[in-house]
Amino acid sequence: MLMKKRLLTGLLLVIISGFTFSQEIVFPELEGFKKITKYPVFVPDNLWDFINGAADTYLSLGFVDLHVAEYKKGKDVIKLEIYKHRDHTLAFGIYASERSPSYRFLKLGSQGYIVDGTINFFKGNYYVKIRTFSTKPKTLQAEESLARRVEGILAGETEMPILLSRFPEDGKMPNEETFVNESVLGHQFLNNAFKATYKSGNDSFSIYLMQSATSDETLKTAKTYLAVGRTEPDPMENRYIFTDGYNGTIFLAWKENLMVIISGLAKDQAGIAEKYSSEILK
Amino acid sequence: MKELSRRGFLKKGIAGAGIVAISPSLLATSAATGEENNIIYRTLGRTGLKVPLISFGVMRSDNSSLCKAAFDKGITFFDTAHGYQGGNNETMLGNLFKDFKRDSFLLATKVKPVTDKEGKPNDQTSPEKFLEMFNLSLSRLQMDYVDILYVHDVRSPELLEYKPLLKVVTNLKKQGKIRFLGFSTHANEATVIDAAADMKDWDVILTQYNYRLAYLNDLNAAIKKAAAAGIGIVAMKTMAGGWLDRERTKPVNTTAALKWVLSNPDVHTTIPGMTSFDQLEKNLPLLSDITFSDTEKNELIASLSDPGLICSGCRQCLDSCPHSLPVPDLMRAYMYAYGYASPSMAKDLLVDLGISNNPCTECDLCSVNCSRNFNVKDKIADISRLVNVSSDFLA
Repeated sequence: MLMKKRLLTGLLLVIISGFTFSQEIVFPELEGFKKITKYPVFVPDNLWDFINGAADTYLSLGFVDLHVAEYKKGKDVIKLEIYKHRDHTLAFGIYASERSPSYRFLKLGSQGYIVDGTINFFKGNYYVKIRTFSTKPKTLQAEESLARRVEGILAGETEMPILLSRFPEDGKMPNEETFVNESVLGHQFLNNAFKATYKSGNDSFSIYLMQSATSDETLKTAKTYLAVGRTEPDPMENRYIFTDGYNGTIFLAWKENLMVIISGLAKDQAGIAEKYSSEILK
Repeated sequence: MKELSRRGFLKKGIAGAGIVAISPSLLATSAATGEENNIIYRTLGRTGLKVPLISFGVMRSDNSSLCKAAFDKGITFFDTAHGYQGGNNETMLGNLFKDFKRDSFLLATKVKPVTDKEGKPNDQTSPEKFLEMFNLSLSRLQMDYVDILYVHDVRSPELLEYKPLLKVVTNLKKQGKIRFLGFSTHANEATVIDAAADMKDWDVILTQYNYRLAYLNDLNAAIKKAAAAGIGIVAMKTMAGGWLDRERTKPVNTTAALKWVLSNPDVHTTIPGMTSFDQLEKNLPLLSDITFSDTEKNELIASLSDPGLICSGCRQCLDSCPHSLPVPDLMRAYMYAYGYASPSMAKDLLVDLGISNNPCTECDLCSVNCSRNFNVKDKIADISRLVNVSSDFLA
């Protein structure tokens, strides 16, 4: 028996090397509504069939699969979409790309919001979207109840990604943080950055925070970016101002495996850049 | 800078004031004109709009500097949608263009009506909701009108002919909130384009179009008919996914792929998605030169013989299997297991298909003729092993 299991495991290692274990999605019931699960499970190859061009953003943020169900009562329909992404940061990335600071935010999973019959939230590796076109109060209540139930069945972190806590609160625009998975500031060599937007007086600027696996990797990325500004790195320095031809004045600072890029400030605002960089990298 | 310590921001670019970088061609700040840059324009059907060969599929970009750089180089037509980035894509474009002369750029957005699974209108299809969504798009864009409104994701002629929706969009046109009416299509394209060509309502069609599509003959015929009827044709998904394999080790020659699309004179412009300045730089030469070299043609032809993992869905195999196996579905199961690393999904599909063991054991030679040159027999033998594996072992 043991031998058989080992052989089977060997076969599986050949077939499924690299596979990860996934949570089965069991859609909750919703009292008074008929649950319809006629949709296929969408995967990267056919996500386009479901959300068209929007699929590319999901794919770039580690989309794994999508489970869809509908809850129907008379003419009222509540549609539930559960998107699974590769990790919690990427789930935050897709959630944050679609939120607006003007929405009403809820403590649902890591964070959620409600707007015009839509409830979206993220938890663990999941991004959940629930929508109804009905305006009936009872249906909207049922939708909220469904959101709570789905939150309950999904496993995973209920906190925001930890790096976000490094952004100083002073001047930060609430609920505008995002995660840029590729081509930060339009540069292909800059990837995986959290972005926060700040206001200082009448000025608005953005701070990007990137964490690499090693400090060598951070240094290499910094040097690549400095080369864009034709700036010679000094081994003793880890803070630079230079002009990026596409994005204007850039403040670049790093420490160990963390790198901060500030865009949107003028050269004579280096003091502001210094203040924020120091706080983030302390 | 005096407020900074030694550890502060001391280093500048070598010219002190900060030297500008990488691509001097992108640094011009005034909007380019076609004459200055020899930009080739085509007329978008009966709309009369002059569009550059390369337009901008903004859907994934959240960087207004990139859109501005494209505009400065003559890419003046921008494509977004109500649903992209939850509306943030439209908001970004609105913030960028609010200070531009309105006639200096063209903007298209898309709104998707609710339909059934086949894309047909049903009791959930609400023209009022469609109108509400469009008005929200206008407000995000901070514009009085859009140049083109596409009904998003049309896959059935029934939706094209759905009178309540046609009434709403026709009214929008009369009110001046949209200049031209179009639809986008990514499935059943040939059928809906052919149907639209027989109608007077549709000015522009945004269609999936690339050299790897399995049904190009039908699609080309439909595009030709629509263009002859005066409909403007915009091509999307032109780069065929950008990669030939799931591991992203074999890139499509995207420049050649775009040139292939533009070699069809009935296609008036393309909307490649761009998220980086490198991609923009790569596409810029195509604004003024789409000479399609033999080397590029040969590269595309060679890549057609690369089967990759994805079944094209041409279904030509269905008649050639003596056991009437659902070969396209079995190829999909193979892709789930090896492409997406999801053997449980593959097994679920195999079970749904009623596969219990290797169904190919009775055939010595496989008579299935696959347009992608898949070794169908080997793949089925391989994947069908999964049905005998306990689900407890599968992820």
